[in-house]
Parts: sequence; structure tokens; C-alpha cells
Amino acid sequence: MQRHSHYFFLCLEKVKADLLSEIRSGYFGILWWVIEPLMYMAVFYIVFEFIFYKGDENRIAFLLIGLVIWKWFASTVSRSSNCIAVNMGLINKVYIPKIIFPVIVLITNTIKFIIIFILLIGILLFSGIEITKVWISIPLLLFIQLFFIFAVGSFFSAFVPFLPDLKLIIDNALMLLFFLSGIFFDINAASPPLKSYLFLNPIAGLIDNYRKVILHGIWPDWSYLQILFYFSIVMILACVFLLKRYDREYPKIL
Amino acid sequence: MTNKIVISAKNVGVAYRRLSGLFKHEKYWALKDITLDVYKGETLGILGKNGVGKSTLLKILAGIIRPDKGSVINYGVSASLLSLQAGFVQYLTGKENAILGGMMLGLTKKEITQKIEEIYEYSDIGDFFYQPVRSYSSGMRARLGFSVAIYANPDVILLDEVLGVGDSDFRIKSTKTMKQIVRSEKTIIIVSHQPALIKELCDRVVLISNGVIENVVAPSEIL
Repeated sequence: MQRHSHYFFLCLEKVKADLLSEIRSGYFGILWWVIEPLMYMAVFYIVFEFIFYKGDENRIAFLLIGLVIWKWFASTVSRSSNCIAVNMGLINKVYIPKIIFPVIVLITNTIKFIIIFILLIGILLFSGIEITKVWISIPLLLFIQLFFIFAVGSFFSAFVPFLPDLKLIIDNALMLLFFLSGIFFDINAASPPLKSYLFLNPIAGLIDNYRKVILHGIWPDWSYLQILFYFSIVMILACVFLLKRYDREYPKIL
Repeated sequence: MTNKIVISAKNVGVAYRRLSGLFKHEKYWALKDITLDVYKGETLGILGKNGVGKSTLLKILAGIIRPDKGSVINYGVSASLLSLQAGFVQYLTGKENAILGGMMLGLTKKEITQKIEEIYEYSDIGDFFYQPVRSYSSGMRARLGFSVAIYANPDVILLDEVLGVGDSDFRIKSTKTMKQIVRSEKTIIIVSHQPALIKELCDRVVLISNGVIENVVAPSEIL
């Protein structure tokens, strides 16, 4: 038990170290956590508002929700997939439970996401979107997404050390998913067979639920969220088992 | 040296996977059959040529990797390899890295924070201690890494090859510290391919070749 609490504190210390290190690496430091996502959103806003689409008053809000939710998922999964490999120097010198590394990535990226999410809510309110009572389900949506992200992140963190080539496939698969998750279009408008295929992607489902709540003031799809939550829990347990099973194998293969 | 065993390896074998063509792997046994007891307070030398499995044996004893064959029992001691430069975070100061490093080696934040002044003194890098590690020379990094590892004070110290680290001044100092620790009641395992060093410091020497123990001898018996 004492060991567990030690690793918990070590985890927090490493998160602090990584965040501090990111702040200090640039001239503007912490400002980048605000400027960078704003620039990210601005790029897509410019491209899709002025070049591809015209019309729809909620178009900007629709797009931004998708982008912000997507980025939390994509950046965490991408960084989780090589988090054990980048620490190979360390794990060859001292024993550290490998599960710590995807957890560190998850916490670090979630802290940065929270800042972006608050920014997003600010922009939405500023652009005239009104808060409704269904907004109380947002924390639950975030919570379920957190579990789902960790399920996928820890899965790849466990496998990529054995198959390093997977990292390249993951990054390109993420790019494909970026275009298929309904960030730029409304999946509900697609034809029925295509629509149900596209919603097999949990991120598409999550983004759709966020939009339901924030833009349309209707409750999220509870049964969908419930399935996603149970799926994530099972997958996390499997990954914790895998990372524990191969805990002392990783230093040998890296 | 007492009769109390701290770490015990029985018939340990370690295999690495080696690529032998596209999609084909073959097992390569770095350690084949090692049976070894480490006693509390002794300084154990492990002598062998390059590539006979010395470093692998250290990782096995430190609990970093698990054997593919046989078993290792650790009787409740902390064991770590004495070098931790690998974990340094470039943009953090020496002090912040010392705290993080100490925690990696198993100390609580409180314990390592209490030792931070001594680490500062011992590392002898002056104001650089409060500067980002990325501005350090390799010698300064080595100084800081060694100081943290020494003050983290594990029950068993595992040393891979190098005894003294850093530039010549610090090398003399760190070698002196190591010799003091060798003479103390601390358990130390030194791996080397230099017989002279092992002969000078160790109580007992294990000769390894090709993944098996060839012989266990007294230092005086080394040629």
C-alpha cells in the first residue's frame, strides 16, 4: 500500500515536472497553452468558414466543440503510444511500474485540455449560446471521455514497445479518424447505413453528445454513454493487467 | 559481511529476442544459468569480458527485468543502479531534478527535500544547482546524478563499470566516497572488466563467461 501511494506521488511530481518543463521551454511560457489552441481553432475556422462552407449560425460553435474534444483524445493517444519508449533510459536504470507513464500523459494532457475547454465555453457564451439545465451532464460526458481516452492510450502504450512500427500506423489512423469523427460535418445528416457505421467510432458519438447538450439543449444518449463507459472500464482493466504482466519485459525489448 | 542473504538468484536465465530475418525472431540467452547469493554488507565483484551478461545480471539483481528461467528472491531490500542521469528533465533546475530523481529512487518527497542541502554541497556545482539541467556540461550532469544516487542511500548499490564520475576533481572525490562506502556495512555489487579495480575493492569475486558463472574466488586469486 505504501508503495502505491509512493508511486502516486511520483506520478504527480512527474506531471508537475513535465508541465513546468513545457512552460519554461518557450519564451512566452504558459501563454502558449492559451495561444496555441486559439491558433489551432482559428486555422480550422478560417479554412472551413471562408473556403468550404457558408451559412448556418451555429457553424462556428459546432466546429469548435468537435475540434476541442478531438484534440484531447488525439494528443493523449498519440503521446501515450510512445510514452514507455521515450522513458527507456530511465526504466533501464530503476524499476518503475510502467502503468505510471500513460497515467502521466493522461493527467498532463487533461490539465491542458481543461484550460482549453474553459476557453471554449467562454467563446460559446460570448457568441450567444445560452446555458440550459442539461449542461449539468457535461461533467459526466467529460468523465466518460476521460476513461475512454485512458483505455485507448494505455492499450497502445502497452503494445507499441513490442511493435514500434505501430506508432506510425496510429498517427495516420488518427488522421483518418479526424476526418471521420464528424468534426466538420453532422453525422446525423448522413444516410442510415453510413451513419450507423460512423457512430461505431466512440469519439464521433461523444462529439455528437456534447453538441446535443451544448447546442441543442437536449440530454445525451444515456445508453450509448453507459456502453462506452463499461467498454472503457473493461479495456482499462485488461491494459493494467497487460502492463503488469510485461512490467519487467519492457526494459529488455527497448 | 554477514551470513544474511539479501538477494538470491537461482538458476537464472535471461533471453533477449534477436531479429533473424524479416518477422523472424530467435532467442539469445544472455544469461544461461546463474545461481548466486548476495550477502548483507559484502562488496561483490562481477568480472567478465564485454558481452558476457554482466549488465544483464545487474538488472536482474536490481529487479528491473525478470528472468525467463529460474528465480530471483529479494529479501526486502532496495537496490538501484548508481546513475540516474537518464531521468533528468532538461528544462528543470538541478534542484528540481534532484527531488524528482530521489523519488524515482524510492525516497519520499519529504526525505529527499531534507537532503537537498547536502546534495547541493556534495555535487559542488555552485549556482548551477538552481539552473536548468540543459545548461549543464556532461561533467556537471554526472556530478548531480552521482550525488542524488549517493544520498538516496539504497540498501544495495549496483555499480556498472565506472567508479569515479565527472571531471578529474570530482572523480577523485566520488572515488573516495565509493571507497568509504565499500568499507562501510553497505552491500555493493560492482561489475567490471578491469581485474585491478575488483581486486582492490571486493570481498568476493564472481567470474562470468558466456552467461554462466565460471568460478567464485577470493580477490587475491585473481590474476
